[in-house]
Amino acid sequence: MTEENREAKLRIRDVSMRFRLEEDRSGSLKETFTKMFTKGLKFREFYALHDVSFDVYKGDVLGIIGRNGAGKSTILKIISGIMKPTKGTVERYGNIVPMLELGSGFDMDLSGRENIYLNGAILGYDKEFLLSKYNEIVDFSELHEFIEMPLRNYSSGMIMRLAFSIATVVEPEILIVDEILAVGVENFQKKSRARMMELMSGGTTVLFVSHDMNQIREMCNRVVWLDGGTVRLQGRSQEICDRYRI
Amino acid sequence: MAAIDMKKTGRYILLAYLAVVCLFTIGAFDKLNRKMSFGGNRLFIYLPVVILLGVLLYYYTRLLERSMENGKPVFGAKLFLTIHKYRFLIEQLVSRDFKIKYKRSALGVFWSFLNPLLMMIVQHIVFSHLLNIRGDVQHYAIYLLCGIVMWNGFNDCSMQSMRSITGNAALITKVYVPKYIYPVTKVFSASVNVLLSMIPLLLVTLVYGLFSTPRLYLHLSVFLLPFGLIFLLVFCIGMGFLLSSLMVFFHDIEFLWTVLSTAWMYATPIIYSLSMFEGKQGVQWIVSLMNFNPLYHYISFIRTIILDGTSPAFTEYLICGAFSIVMFFIGLTVFRKCQDKFILYL
Repeated sequence: MTEENREAKLRIRDVSMRFRLEEDRSGSLKETFTKMFTKGLKFREFYALHDVSFDVYKGDVLGIIGRNGAGKSTILKIISGIMKPTKGTVERYGNIVPMLELGSGFDMDLSGRENIYLNGAILGYDKEFLLSKYNEIVDFSELHEFIEMPLRNYSSGMIMRLAFSIATVVEPEILIVDEILAVGVENFQKKSRARMMELMSGGTTVLFVSHDMNQIREMCNRVVWLDGGTVRLQGRSQEICDRYRI
Repeated sequence: MAAIDMKKTGRYILLAYLAVVCLFTIGAFDKLNRKMSFGGNRLFIYLPVVILLGVLLYYYTRLLERSMENGKPVFGAKLFLTIHKYRFLIEQLVSRDFKIKYKRSALGVFWSFLNPLLMMIVQHIVFSHLLNIRGDVQHYAIYLLCGIVMWNGFNDCSMQSMRSITGNAALITKVYVPKYIYPVTKVFSASVNVLLSMIPLLLVTLVYGLFSTPRLYLHLSVFLLPFGLIFLLVFCIGMGFLLSSLMVFFHDIEFLWTVLSTAWMYATPIIYSLSMFEGKQGVQWIVSLMNFNPLYHYISFIRTIILDGTSPAFTEYLICGAFSIVMFFIGLTVFRKCQDKFILYL
């Protein structure tokens, strides 16, 4: 199948992201003002991304590889809408579930049950959906007897299990994953890995950042290699992985 | 799917309108049922206007429905869709704030009643027995309580919403949610408290009124209280937009605002009355300046309803409404301009 007649899920066109690094960042009004009058505010411009373009098609599992600071996380944030690019456009066709950091919407004082609804709402699920999937989430997380306890009494492993269960209960059209998630004890690790594989093979379009080249080879069909904020190479996963040397 | 939602939304709009009309008619009936200077009853103008507006609103909801079917967006359709989409999230965030606030206190939600009550007792003792600045205000305790409740509401809302963006930094940098939601939900959750503190206000008025000379009774005008609260709420949302976006860039705002709000509190006749200045030379500018203090208008609005037992003058509705809407749009514009930069500064 040629790429042109497949259904595009994401079109990323000439995306640039410029950061202004103030020489020493001042957080206060007074400092900013005094600097404005004395030596002026000094900025160092820094492009985290420079004219990045690529497409992602339905059913793709796209790996993004590159060194630290190559712009991998930035492009994920731009695609999921958290950051707005300085230049360029991102077109999205379908609902996106970003799994950038699990459980960032959790509130430690609320119970597990309350957190399922809160975090679910933050991830954009609606009420009916959450009500119908509530048991499934609890079952998957294996937290039955603790679900009414406040989260501050949970162990970190339990929190990750709950977060993972909430995040993967949907079958999103586009899933964005920063590093593969393997959480909890060995038993749960296997389960979560299996769930990820199930999502990835189930027709979901996946964007996936990892440093583990074996994982990339194993799971991705296409790879984009970012280097210093630009696309160095993109194409079939085996091809790129063979040429990729850090 | 969307068309069905719009049908519901339309029904809600009409219901809201009906509620507003009912409250207003009951609350302000004594002022509405009055002869005008050129003869004829005010009701003869009021009723046709209400009916006409209702009919227009009905056509608007029909238009909304149809716009969903043929895909031509009508003014406001996008807003309703957004509200519908994020209603559940707003609900969850508000309920979280509310649960958290009293989670570890023994008396829990009762603090919402107790707080204004205790504050009033303290301030009543200080200001009517130690310092005599009550002037010639009748029912000073109630006068004070109205002011405290409204001011605390405003102060709570602005403080909470100011930290809404910086406080949710962990979320904003991880998940995409329209950022408007954060200040708005903070104002909502703070205003639940304002709403609850209306209960002690009315109860105290009821009990106090029985034992005071002259007697003070609650009148039908209490049905107008929601209007005062809505004006305050909209004003607070605007303020929240403004403060929360400034807060991202200058953390100093937090400290500056505590000073500013204290100054504002003393500039508002909460513990004193404007009648103090009557007949004094050289201070008349204070009285005329007060017209530009929105909080003064909101507090007077409530005081007229409770102490005078009648509806505020109709111009007062316009003034309060204008302040709210202007503040709302100032805040919204600033927030809109800044929101894409938030993430770079969090």
